[in-house]
Amino acid sequence: MAKILIVDDSAMSRRILRGILESGGHHVSEAEDGMVALEKFFLDKPDLVLLDLIMKGMFGMDVLKKIRLMDDKARIIVATADIQSSTMAMTKSEGASGFVTKPFTSEEILSAVQTVLEGRNDGPQ
Amino acid sequence: MMVLNEKQSDALAELINIAFARTAASLSTMSGYRVLLDPPNVETYAIEDLPAAVGARIKEEVATVHQIFSGPVAGDALLILNYEGAVTLTDLLRLNQTHSLGLDDSGREALTEIGNILLNACLGMFGNMLHVHVSFSMPRLHLESLEDLLRSLTIGSEELRYAIVAATAFHIKESAVSGYLVMVLGISSLDRLMHAIEDWEEGQIK
Repeated sequence: MAKILIVDDSAMSRRILRGILESGGHHVSEAEDGMVALEKFFLDKPDLVLLDLIMKGMFGMDVLKKIRLMDDKARIIVATADIQSSTMAMTKSEGASGFVTKPFTSEEILSAVQTVLEGRNDGPQ
Repeated sequence: MMVLNEKQSDALAELINIAFARTAASLSTMSGYRVLLDPPNVETYAIEDLPAAVGARIKEEVATVHQIFSGPVAGDALLILNYEGAVTLTDLLRLNQTHSLGLDDSGREALTEIGNILLNACLGMFGNMLHVHVSFSMPRLHLESLEDLLRSLTIGSEELRYAIVAATAFHIKESAVSGYLVMVLGISSLDRLMHAIEDWEEGQIK
């Protein structure tokens, strides 16, 4: 089972994601903004990051870029309400391994996590 | 005046965030341009405090699309755009190459339809997620005093009413369109809405 960092400014979304991921047997930590996320990524070295994009403070896209600068093999799944195909393309070009749109189901999250952890995605590894 | 607790406010803000993102996607589809969205700021007020609260935030000229919605959750929905932003948006969506000085009849008609689409995208998303069906009245465009419009919402009901005010900015083709979504709900509708949100959150983890 994996160590997963949830980055989302919504406490509700973090609660939902934690519940889903823990039901899948994963160990979960949380960050409520981009700065905390960078600190936790550096200290905890999670196997995977689930990252929101539309956040107060540092935008998720900037968090994605900074994490990839810290570790170019970082596995990041973007979980966002932004459904624009241009957004998905941009996150992919910045190194995201997966993209899930809100509102999501537990199956969608667990499947995306499993796919990325097993390296079956076509994103960077 | 805050009528929701911290957990309820956060949940409501996240649902509005999702709904606004879908609204931005609708704008992107209509305009052909990428749309960036600022995280919405959501606050709740007693209806009598709404004119002062919104008046303190919005000092500039605005264009407002107003729709009444009915169903298990019923109330008034307002999409308030800064006037300059509304003109820009209307130009972009009508594929005007030059910036109009104001809204002519055709621009007003277009803006009313844009408001209709955006309010439906936003509230429809809410309805779909929470399994609450709402029906919409015809949209009406208001270009006159926002304060008068808001004051008109404060009368005519004996039920305690509250206003959810969500503020954001859509950035589209180097232009910023400030947008406010105001939902005015009776206490029973607000209560139903919050229960639906709680049920939705529980259902998400199953």
